[in-house]
Amino acid sequence: MSLTVIGVRHHSPACARLVASTIAAVRPAWVLVEGPAEMNGRIGELLLEHELPVAVFTGYADEQRRHASWAPFCDYSPEWVALRAGREVGAELRFIDLPAWHEAFAERSNRYADAELRYAEVVERLCAAFGVDNTDALWDHVIELEPAEGAAERLAAYFDLIRGSSAAGASDTAREAYMAGWIRAACAAAGDRPVVAVVGGFHRPALLRAVSGDGPAEWPQVPQPPAGATAGSYLVPYSFRRLDAFAGYQSGMPSPDYYQRLWEAGPVEAGRHLITAVAGRLRRRGQPVSTADLIAARAGAEALARLRGHHHPARVDVLDGLAAALVNEALDVPLPWSVRGEIATGQHPAVVEMTAALSGERVGRLHPDTPLPRLVHAVTADLERLGLDRPGEFTVDLLKPEDQARSRVLHRLRVLAIPGFERSIGPATGLDPVLAEEWTVRDHEHRLVALIEAGGYGATLESAAAARLTQRIEEAAGDLGRLAGALFDAALGGVTELVADVPARLERGVAAGTDLGELGRVLAVTLALWRHDRLLATAGSATLGTVVAAAARRILWLAEGWHGAGAPADPPRIRAVVAVRDALLHAAEVGVDRAATAAVAGRVAADRAAPPDLRGAFYGLARMLAASTVEADPAAAVRGAFAAGTAGDWLSGLFAVARESIGDTLDLIDDLVGGLGADDFLVALPALRQAFEFFPPRERESIGERLLARRGLTGSGRDLLRASVAPQIVAAGLALDERVEDRLARAGLLAAGDLG
Amino acid sequence: MSLLSDPPAERVQRPPAEVRHADELARLRAADDAPRPPGWALSLRAARAFIVGDAELGIVRKFVGDPSLIDRALVSLATNRGLLLVGEPGTAKSLLSELLAAAVSGDSTLTIQGGAATTEDQIKYSWNYALLVAEGPSERSLVPAPLLRGMAQGRTVRFEEITRCPLEVQDCLLSPLSDRVMAVPELPGDAGMVFARDGFNIIATANTRDRGVNDMSSALKRRFNFETVFPIADFDTELALVEAEAGALLRRSGVTAPPRRDVLEVLVTTFRELRSGRTARGDEMERLSAVMSTAEAVSVAHAVGMRGWFLRGTSGSAADLVSCLAGTAAKDSPEDLAKLRRYLEQQTSWRTGEQWRELRDARRELPGG
Repeated sequence: MSLTVIGVRHHSPACARLVASTIAAVRPAWVLVEGPAEMNGRIGELLLEHELPVAVFTGYADEQRRHASWAPFCDYSPEWVALRAGREVGAELRFIDLPAWHEAFAERSNRYADAELRYAEVVERLCAAFGVDNTDALWDHVIELEPAEGAAERLAAYFDLIRGSSAAGASDTAREAYMAGWIRAACAAAGDRPVVAVVGGFHRPALLRAVSGDGPAEWPQVPQPPAGATAGSYLVPYSFRRLDAFAGYQSGMPSPDYYQRLWEAGPVEAGRHLITAVAGRLRRRGQPVSTADLIAARAGAEALARLRGHHHPARVDVLDGLAAALVNEALDVPLPWSVRGEIATGQHPAVVEMTAALSGERVGRLHPDTPLPRLVHAVTADLERLGLDRPGEFTVDLLKPEDQARSRVLHRLRVLAIPGFERSIGPATGLDPVLAEEWTVRDHEHRLVALIEAGGYGATLESAAAARLTQRIEEAAGDLGRLAGALFDAALGGVTELVADVPARLERGVAAGTDLGELGRVLAVTLALWRHDRLLATAGSATLGTVVAAAARRILWLAEGWHGAGAPADPPRIRAVVAVRDALLHAAEVGVDRAATAAVAGRVAADRAAPPDLRGAFYGLARMLAASTVEADPAAAVRGAFAAGTAGDWLSGLFAVARESIGDTLDLIDDLVGGLGADDFLVALPALRQAFEFFPPRERESIGERLLARRGLTGSGRDLLRASVAPQIVAAGLALDERVEDRLARAGLLAAGDLG
Repeated sequence: MSLLSDPPAERVQRPPAEVRHADELARLRAADDAPRPPGWALSLRAARAFIVGDAELGIVRKFVGDPSLIDRALVSLATNRGLLLVGEPGTAKSLLSELLAAAVSGDSTLTIQGGAATTEDQIKYSWNYALLVAEGPSERSLVPAPLLRGMAQGRTVRFEEITRCPLEVQDCLLSPLSDRVMAVPELPGDAGMVFARDGFNIIATANTRDRGVNDMSSALKRRFNFETVFPIADFDTELALVEAEAGALLRRSGVTAPPRRDVLEVLVTTFRELRSGRTARGDEMERLSAVMSTAEAVSVAHAVGMRGWFLRGTSGSAADLVSCLAGTAAKDSPEDLAKLRRYLEQQTSWRTGEQWRELRDARRELPGG
């Protein structure tokens, strides 16, 4: 048996070179590659002349879970190079890892993520020992920039060190057992001809141990998806930007464009290109980059390389050199290459351009003979079945089940941005009573291309739309408008249950919101969808319940911090408090905390720095909740809040939330309004009018009747509400009376006692 | 014995870095075989090891932060640009500048403290007026200030809080940084031009909070490489640092009870969240206007321990923490106090752990609560 196991880091040019030279030298009979075993019958598809990057996309759905994952390849992927080099020497090619839908991959969407990141402690110790910031810098330091001689030994030592001290988790153990089975079988089949296996370096030590022991030598079975589940793998075009966008445990080697150059032309050229590209980008944006800056950047990179013991400037040397030369102010967030993880917002413009130049804009393209993903066939079938496969205008009645199915398909296509499907009329929020939609369907030259790309999201229209919506929710973090839009699209498309971590993402998105009015709108709409919507089948949805609870909590947090003692009433923010009240009344079971709400309400109502409308609204809410923290006697509270400038605003808030409190306070309000001076009354009038707008006409009428009765007058309350002249004219008349009386009094023609 | 020249050495409160770590510097010098930049006491690699630590030579790590920051800083000092360390207060900028100067020049005492009253005299040179009147301007009557000394001797000059100086005072650094020369027009002949020797460079520090006080001219900005020093990114690292530092301070104050780990966890979490304006769960909130630095966390932890020990004879509790937070974190700002109260009211109830409940229950300890 002559077995060579090459432990690689995925997407590493140095490893790719080692794989190519090893296969060319050994000329193995079998080349085994860590990759999806279910693709073994279709390796020919991969060997077509694609433009890289491309990826094997795997979609899976069963009753409990839905999963999408990618195995991306670029020119310098060791796995890709192994396939090509293996074919060149006439070897048999096999993928030997579990399918991506297997439970071992349940937490992952990138097959070629760095396994060692899941074992952070040992990596941290290594970084500290070498005095580098993170694994990427460490990798360049010990592997990528070192000469090709001895690469195999260095790789083995590196991964032995990492693996040596950590116990693998259950999923890694399962995969290693499976891969070892393939290697044993290939060795048995090859006899004394050589076998080369290309696997993640983290697995190599365990595989060597497993292969040297005893075990069955027949070919392992490729697992089949359980009954009732759908699973499929397809080649899809990929892009450098997506390759670079995996973060945290999902990420592999960053900066694809830089490593593409390094693969093609070596480290010196890659570094030079990076500096040129960054300078070019910044100058195109109108940012000054002087020759002196570029000299300083080059000199800095060279000096850093020497200090860190590199033969040529590495990626971080060039970047550090550029940052030192180009950034001449304080940074708000750390440099992205000195930390590991998602790129924080608020980066310096020069740093933004640097990371963009590292990623590159290369987009892959599939060879025309590549089989189409199932989504294309699924959509064609859906459209035929529902009679939507011809251009034309379609009217959809949402109350008819068969039309509802059509509407959902059309909405899902819209969500996936497939061109040629447009809606002109239909429900725009969860609150409007529109029950019909009008759609225009056109043939479009890009429909097929768009569908192939959307095939990356899933094998059926529903799963693809669900994946796309999940991505939108992810991208919308903090932007509530977009978040609400994505949720509403999910409802329209009948995508009721999104993938597992969506509620957590929604919660985070809502928790980052800063606009009280917008939050109120989101809460009101979501609550309505959660309570009522049988049409869209969203009533009682757990996902929406999460949003309701998170939005209510966030509104309370923001409201308590809102200061502006004399600020005029702001209807959107009052509606936010109303939405919290409704959430408490109707959705307490999703986790809207009654005690916490009562406590916040009591504090805001008593806070002199809070805007009067919020104080009024929270006073109403606290009374409704019978909170012990507020003034129990409404008369005392009204009296306390009744200052001419703010009385109306306070009442607006109160009536919006608890208009029934007019019952025991009307007499008092009447007295207080009557006691206002003419000037004060004019100031208070607009806000008072606004406050009473919250009563429906019939209630306003009965208020009018009570006021008449108090004065001992008879008449119709309704007539009081219908002023025969415009309020501006009345106000002008009042002002005129006031002026006339004032002048008369000053001229001594009217004694002060005659006034009124 | 004179008052100033020979006080007892062992009573110095805080000796400079090159004295505190003299044995480490000596070991590094002895083992240093890499090329040294002209005028440097150590090579770049040895200087780096002095700050980030080296287990083989028994050099302890003195600065918790990205090693790449130290690399960039040292390379800046070896080139013809100055180094400007910027960052929030309490991020150990001054400590870093002291360590860099000790490593590069073996001397961290050429220090200018910036402030509203700093004048050119304190930066460049002044005169001994008795001698000036008696002899006229001469090298004997010249009193060199740190910048002139650093240039003439080829050493690193530290300029603390540079943005607290008026703009025109800052600008006297322009020609020393770009032309590497300082004119002393009063002195006759060649002595009137002091050319910088190899090894001279400037490390300045500036607070990002001071940006509004005095800006820097763009001419001066161009002559500095900016390095931003960030608060410690990693929770465990910060917790370990606070625990070690506060423990040492408490021992020095005669407190024998070590600080409670869970209370420190609450303290560090609170500081980090109020500093970043973001809770662990992802809620956005306003940041406090007070400085929530690691240094401040250490001093709060110290105060908490003192309170617990001298009031009750135990370790500090979460209730002590609330009392100390009000004084040290919120200081005299009512807005900060309100924000702190809102944090204790709304952001503590959802967390698990006895210490959080204790913290929440103690929220009434805040003044006015």
